[in-house]
Amino acid sequence: MVGAWLFGAFVLLAIFGPLFVGDPLAYVGAPHGSPSAAHWFGTTGQGQDVLAQVVVGTRVSLLLGVLVGVVVVSVGALVGVSAALAGPRGDRALNLLINVFLVIPGLPLAIVLAAFLPKSPWTIAAVLMFTGWAWNARVLRAQAMAIRDRDFVAAAICAGESRLGVLWREVLPQLRALLMAQFIGAIIFAIGAQVGLEYIGVGDISVTTWGTNLYWAANDSALLTGSWWTFVPTGVMIALLSFALVMLNFGVDELANPRLTTGRIFDAWLRTRNASVGPDAATPIVPLVQDGPQEDARP
Amino acid sequence: MPGGSHAGHQRRRGVRLVGLLIAVGWSLVAGPGCLADKPPARSGVVTVSHQQSATWVRNFNPLMPNSRWPAAAGVYEPMMVFNTAKDSWTPWLATAARWVDDLTLEVDIRDGVLFSDGTPFTAADVAFTFGLVKQHKALDQRAVWSFLASVEATSPTGVRFVFSKRYAPGFGDLMEQPIVAKHIYAKVKDPVSFADATPVGTGPFTEINAFRPQVYELGKNPHYWQPGKPMVDALRLPAFVSNDAANLALVMGEVDWSGNFIPAVDRVFVNRDPEHHGYWFAEGGGMVFLYANTARGPTQKASVRKALSHAVNRELLVEVAMYNYTSPARAHGLSETYAAWRDPSAIAGDADNWTRFDPDAAKRLLAGAAVPADWSPSIIVVSGWSDWVRAAQVVARSLQGVGVNARVETYEFGAWFERVQKGDFDLAIGWSVEGPTPYSFYKWLMSAETRKPLGETSSGNWHRFADPAASKLLEQFQVTTERAAQGELSNALQRRFVATAPAIPLFANPLWGAYNTSRIEGFPTAADPYAPLAPHKMPACLLTMTSLKPVTK
Amino acid sequence: MSVLRFLASRLGFYAIAAFVALTINFFLPRLLPGDPATAIFGRFQGKLQPEALEALKEAFGLADAPLFEQYFTYLGHVLTGDFGPSVSHFPEPVSAVIGQGLLWTVLLVGLAVVISFIIGTALGVFAAWRRGGRLDRWLPPILALVGAFPYFWLAMLMLYIFGFELGWFPVRHAHSDHLEPAWTLTFIGDVLAHAALPALSVIIVSLGGWLLSMRNSMIAVLGDESIALARMKGLSPRKVMWRYAARNAIIPNVTSFGMALGFVLGGSLLTEVVFGYPGTGYLMLEAIQSQDYPLMQGLFLAITLAVLAANFLVDIALIFIDPRTRIRR
Repeated sequence: MVGAWLFGAFVLLAIFGPLFVGDPLAYVGAPHGSPSAAHWFGTTGQGQDVLAQVVVGTRVSLLLGVLVGVVVVSVGALVGVSAALAGPRGDRALNLLINVFLVIPGLPLAIVLAAFLPKSPWTIAAVLMFTGWAWNARVLRAQAMAIRDRDFVAAAICAGESRLGVLWREVLPQLRALLMAQFIGAIIFAIGAQVGLEYIGVGDISVTTWGTNLYWAANDSALLTGSWWTFVPTGVMIALLSFALVMLNFGVDELANPRLTTGRIFDAWLRTRNASVGPDAATPIVPLVQDGPQEDARP
Repeated sequence: MPGGSHAGHQRRRGVRLVGLLIAVGWSLVAGPGCLADKPPARSGVVTVSHQQSATWVRNFNPLMPNSRWPAAAGVYEPMMVFNTAKDSWTPWLATAARWVDDLTLEVDIRDGVLFSDGTPFTAADVAFTFGLVKQHKALDQRAVWSFLASVEATSPTGVRFVFSKRYAPGFGDLMEQPIVAKHIYAKVKDPVSFADATPVGTGPFTEINAFRPQVYELGKNPHYWQPGKPMVDALRLPAFVSNDAANLALVMGEVDWSGNFIPAVDRVFVNRDPEHHGYWFAEGGGMVFLYANTARGPTQKASVRKALSHAVNRELLVEVAMYNYTSPARAHGLSETYAAWRDPSAIAGDADNWTRFDPDAAKRLLAGAAVPADWSPSIIVVSGWSDWVRAAQVVARSLQGVGVNARVETYEFGAWFERVQKGDFDLAIGWSVEGPTPYSFYKWLMSAETRKPLGETSSGNWHRFADPAASKLLEQFQVTTERAAQGELSNALQRRFVATAPAIPLFANPLWGAYNTSRIEGFPTAADPYAPLAPHKMPACLLTMTSLKPVTK
Repeated sequence: MSVLRFLASRLGFYAIAAFVALTINFFLPRLLPGDPATAIFGRFQGKLQPEALEALKEAFGLADAPLFEQYFTYLGHVLTGDFGPSVSHFPEPVSAVIGQGLLWTVLLVGLAVVISFIIGTALGVFAAWRRGGRLDRWLPPILALVGAFPYFWLAMLMLYIFGFELGWFPVRHAHSDHLEPAWTLTFIGDVLAHAALPALSVIIVSLGGWLLSMRNSMIAVLGDESIALARMKGLSPRKVMWRYAARNAIIPNVTSFGMALGFVLGGSLLTEVVFGYPGTGYLMLEAIQSQDYPLMQGLFLAITLAVLAANFLVDIALIFIDPRTRIRR
């Protein structure tokens, strides 16, 4: 489990790393200094320690990613599973809500919102939560419907168990693997989107995160001045974390599903490939194929 | 077997497809030496990088602020050009101007000037332009009709401006108004949305050789009134989407004249070709201020504002935020733009020199003013303006050093501007209002006339400060036309500013200007400052445009 | 449910979705602080006298009609596609500004998405067919690692190495400045050269996704009885691979492909910013920075319509690819 180890390392770095490095915004040396014994990753265009920025950025970016992941998957589960367990009318309403959120262009909306709301990484998190939950909801709704229509759930409902009880005891356990995969996918998505949004400058550029590191690197003409060290470490960290999560996802997937009988989990990976080219931006296909079987199976 | 042959077809098709992909990939990857964008070098064409945009819009209406850069000073021209590098007026379409009385200004219009279509330019065009601006308020960028009563052509070479009030600083606003052709603009139905796609002007470059979304080229005016000028054939303006893209082109030698911020300019640009590459970042871009709200909080006291100023290490600030391209501000707030107006004696006293970095003095003053220990002001700054965000970070850090728990808050421009205009801030980083004399500068810093109550939208004097003595001096300035008398008033204003510290000056904004003399020469430099180098400095850029010439080999 | 009725119900849904998007599109910028005139004023930083601000506001017709009156005007404009003049490109109409950007973005990103989809899907088929083979063992992790990099980061790196340092590729714009757009070989070659790096940056990060989803879908299908049956019938392996397995396994990929196409307009923003490519993504950023509501709304509308159209096309395509949809509905 390379992924798990690597991810664990990132978590440790995020928790304890900032204790070992200095203030990421302090002026510590000549601007655009190349890596040296004093500054292992060199200094930025403003004479700040790149290592400190990368480490402190890890904390904010990872925390934000996990936070968005939790909320997006929870909201997705809440709406998706409720839709599956609600009556036909409730389902129709919730399904419409989900689908509308799917077809609204997520990235442009996120940019507009992030640009004009008060600046902070938590604004970005909120924006990503707002624009990112629908995809999870759709997949979970479809899956929950399949489970609902299985015999043992039907039996539980007949036995007079409350909807909540059914949800808690019968449906959610069945969705564990999928939820886990979605959670991992959502973290990757959140980190990628956050970095992208901050890179174009709609975030709070006075806070140290991976995204603002890249923003400042570009702003200080890292390429033109040949200061590759100001943006390569952050880029590599983002890639390593995403890679770790993808590997973790593979692992979860194989555990849950040795034969890989479903491609669904990989949809999660699909949409996380990058912050915005194509399907990632919420992969809003309006339910067609995946809803089909469940609706047919409805008694 | 039929199935087999079918599969065979498919395979062949597949092979062909792969072959095609490889061929395309090959041509893209292996033979790309010839793919890079190498424009054919043409002598006598000045490639300029100034505005940033993804695409150009063909708008040469000089009366609108968002028309293409050469429109107001290049295609069209003003009556006189203020040379910030020399602090003097250069007669342009006018040859002279004189005050007949306190309210009447007479201007002599240059004889023998032709528009680019061959029509003679006369005083009627001047009178028409001002009439047009009066009729369409949106075109009155200099707000000239706030002090004008009438404009009238007295002869083909004479224009009389009658003021509605005594307002000497209005001279500059009138002189720098771009003048349009009456025979063209009189026929335009709505001059506000008129894009003037094929302009007819008096300027050195009026002919549009090419106009595409990515680039446009302006050829020289066949009838230009300055004999032998312009000495170059055309101005060429590619659209660069960002500062970085523009700098890349400059460094690669594709741009001759640039008005962009360049980080680490010596290393990035000059060292690549020290013989031809040069820059001149003159400190003429106005003053960057830390505005402290003088209508609420501890910063109502001048001593607290001075304490904050003492806390800021401007040497570090200038190095970190501005790459040492500018110098720290002095307590009178006047930048290099007003070099001739500065009075060193105003800041000679120890107490007057409150832009000195002195944390102990800051702490003393704060203690003396009984500032609450838990005061934690926020510094608001525009989020995309990275040099100012950096400056705000350094300032916040400096203030923390003297026990003031300041923090930086960034806002998108619109949100930021709304706050500063309504006075809804503790501390804010912002610009100064500029003019040919320190009058506008100080008026918007400490005149009672510009001060509005908190909550009300005010386009200047965001910090809400008024000093009765300074207001009086400014009123006198309004009606003073002699330079020497203006100088005295300016000195007195500086003393009022130093005494009351209405706002905290940080550093002067440089004017970005860089050049490459491998094809074009004659650029102004720090050693030969005949005009400002920065193309932003309109209309002074006309002085540079008409002095550039191709390198002769 | 007949195909026709099914399509009609889809259209109904798209209409509702479009309406919601349009409404958000209208209210969002208006609830936010600032206006275009102020933004222009800000660009001049003290060079315009403060008195001129009010005049500017007037010029852009920022009249204060009641919000809901503006809303109905806006809806009317949407139907006619007339958003008035763009503020940042004043006085050019929004439709013209977008039209220009649309062309380049569709060319650049559309091409990149199609290429990436074809290559990635084909690789996925091969990987699944020879499961555990060299291709299957190495390609997915490598592509996963490459795809883990932010694509604009790769774009920056490529721009620097191949454009700036080596000088192999142009570093900005959609075509060389000195060329007049024309249907000549030189110009087309020039456009391709300019599209090469930005397209490549999009392709290499998205390749892995297509490959993985195709591979897994394929593996699932290959376990199916019908494939075993086809093999037993003695059909050539290649025929089984493409005609039976791949055809069935491609459905999820087609779905995603439709989405990817739908998001072409807004999705390429960062690439366009890095390469100075004059497409819709860059326009979007410009519109936000200059608070150009009309342009912002026009773009948002264009993007939403593109997404809906792509969805609808996918609906139709799936009816043809996947016979089950027809029967089942």
